[in-house]
Order: sequence, then C-alpha cells, then structure tokens
Amino acid sequence: MTQTVEQLYQQAGDEFAPAIARLARAVERDAEKARDLEQEMHCALWTSLSRFKGDCALKTWVYRVAHNVAADHVARATRGPRKVPLEEIDTLPAAQNPESDAADALVLAQVAELIRSLPPVDAQTIVLWLEGESAAEIAAIIGLSPGAVAVRVHRIKALLAGHFEQPPKTGDRS
Amino acid sequence: MSLPPLTAWLDAGKDASFSDPAACAARASKFERSIRLRNSIEYSAGGLMTLLFGASAVAAMFRSEWMIGISMFITMIGITTVMWNLRRRGSNLVRRPEDPCVVHLRSQYVRQFEALRAVPRWYLGPLIPGMALLYVSIMISVAEVTGWQQALRGIAWPVAATVALFGAIALINWIAARSIRRKIEAIDALA
Repeated sequence: MTQTVEQLYQQAGDEFAPAIARLARAVERDAEKARDLEQEMHCALWTSLSRFKGDCALKTWVYRVAHNVAADHVARATRGPRKVPLEEIDTLPAAQNPESDAADALVLAQVAELIRSLPPVDAQTIVLWLEGESAAEIAAIIGLSPGAVAVRVHRIKALLAGHFEQPPKTGDRS
Repeated sequence: MSLPPLTAWLDAGKDASFSDPAACAARASKFERSIRLRNSIEYSAGGLMTLLFGASAVAAMFRSEWMIGISMFITMIGITTVMWNLRRRGSNLVRRPEDPCVVHLRSQYVRQFEALRAVPRWYLGPLIPGMALLYVSIMISVAEVTGWQQALRGIAWPVAATVALFGAIALINWIAARSIRRKIEAIDALA
C-alpha cells in the first residue's frame, strides 16, 4: 500500500462518483435525501479507506461500501411496500411518473422503481449489472457465487427483455 | 467490465463528484452530536426513574414499609441494569461497510435478531423481580387491613395489565425476530 487515503479517495472519486450518484438516486426517490445518501456513501468510503490494504480491487471496495451504506439506508427508512424477490416479479413495476413522454426516462424510472421494490441482494445485483459489471465482478462485490449472480442476471435480462418490444442492447457478462 | 445493458442508465450522474473530506468531518461531528443528544435524553429519563424509585424506596423505609422499600430498591436496580444493557448493546456495534454485501447484510440482521430475541432477558427480565415484589408487598399491606379476598381482587387487574403489557412487548419482539430470522435464512440460501 503506497497510496495515501487522499490519493485513493481522489482516484475513487474520479472513477466512481457517477456510479455512486446513480446508486443513491436509484434507491432513494426523494432527490434531497438521495443527495444526502450520496454524501453518506462518500464519507463512509473516506473513513473506510484507511483500512484498505489492497486485498481486493479499489472498485470492489468502493462498490461494497456504497451498496452496504445504501442497504442500511433502505433498512432505516420507514416501512415501505413489501419487498418482492426477482423470481416473483413478472413485469416492471409502474413508475411514479407514467405520463413521462421521454421513453428512456420512463424506462429508467421503471427500473428505479423495480430496484426500490427488490430485497437488498437483488437490488445490488441489478444496479451493478446496469453499471456493466460482469457476473464475476458482481459476485466479488456482493459475496455470492458467480453462479448465483448469473441466475439473478438472467432473471433481470428476461424481465427487461419482456418489457421492451426490442430487447435492450446487452453486453456479454457471463 | 462489460458493455452496459442500458446506455441511458450511464448517462445519468456523469457530472457527479465526491464530497470534500472536510464535509465528511463536519458530517461526522454532526452525527456524533445527535448521538450524544439522544444518549443524554435516554440517560436523563433513566436517571429520573432511578431517582424516583430510589426516593420512594427511602421514603417507604422511613415509614417502616420494608417490603415496599426493598421492592422499589430492586426495581431501581432493574432500571439501572436495563440502561447498562442498552449502552452495552449500542457500543458493541462495529461498522465495516467494506465487507461483501451479503456478509454485511447478514451481520446486520443477526445483530437485530439477537437483540429482539433477547428482549425478555435484557429489557423485561431485570424489571420483573422488583415489580413482582412490589405487587406482593402492596397485596400483603392491603390484606392486613381488608382481608386476603379483597386484597387479591384489588391487585388482580394491575397484575393482569402488567403481565399483558410485558407479554405484548415480548410477543411483538418475538414476531419481529422471527421475521428477521427468515431474512437470514434467505441470505444463507443464496450463497
């Protein structure tokens, strides 16, 4: 470990600030609370980096901290609707703003709604998959086997593909 | 990293940047202040109760109502024990957000499960001896004047209400603990 906490934090910020912002906005609908959650993730990361010894990739560390803070935030929040596991969901939930005329925005709103309705591990999987992470990378971050992640990713793909007339552009993430 | 499945997803938040570490320091001190305030409110409430029961115990002793005095004193010890348990459980919390997500989630659930499951032992249990002795003392005092039948009739409802309250607290926490145990089992089944 030759990098200082400041350098690691700077590097993490350069590479992952947008991903963390997207995660915060996905799990918290309220914009102000999402911004606060985003800062909570930054601060948890800043504090944790003094313990970073390079045993895993910086990306893995950053995502673990961010997703764990997000999961704690969801757990602290007042009781919402019952969480439904991926295997029990057939269609994307309706977004809060169905009148949106921007197709992409509507899709993203629906995906965010889906994320908020999932149990933590399923929500973490879908967000990391949306960030373009592979099953192996997601497995390292979440702590599941790659096989278990692949099953979840398959369900997410089927869910989204069933929703779109034309399936979304997908990468190879097996 | 593979190709992102929804390119529109990655278009959001492109201009985001990390918070200044100074903001984190300010946030941490604000958090610590709110925790200190919460703790001082809890300890003040507990301290007030302890004082009340302590003063009542002394007053009862002065009136030579020894059993009532002793029961008040035991209740005071019970309240102090509950406060101590609250503090011990709060300070045992170690934050390691860098753990793999399922490990972090499981440890959070286990902590909640154990706290809820043990409520009868660490929250209700310490209060029971003092309360029980208090009711017995009052019943004996009343029986000396009005007879046992009247004393039993008079104490029945307060005892029933206390048992119902304690039972309800234990039951609610047991149901919550059972729900969390199911979440732990679901996580274990994922791996």
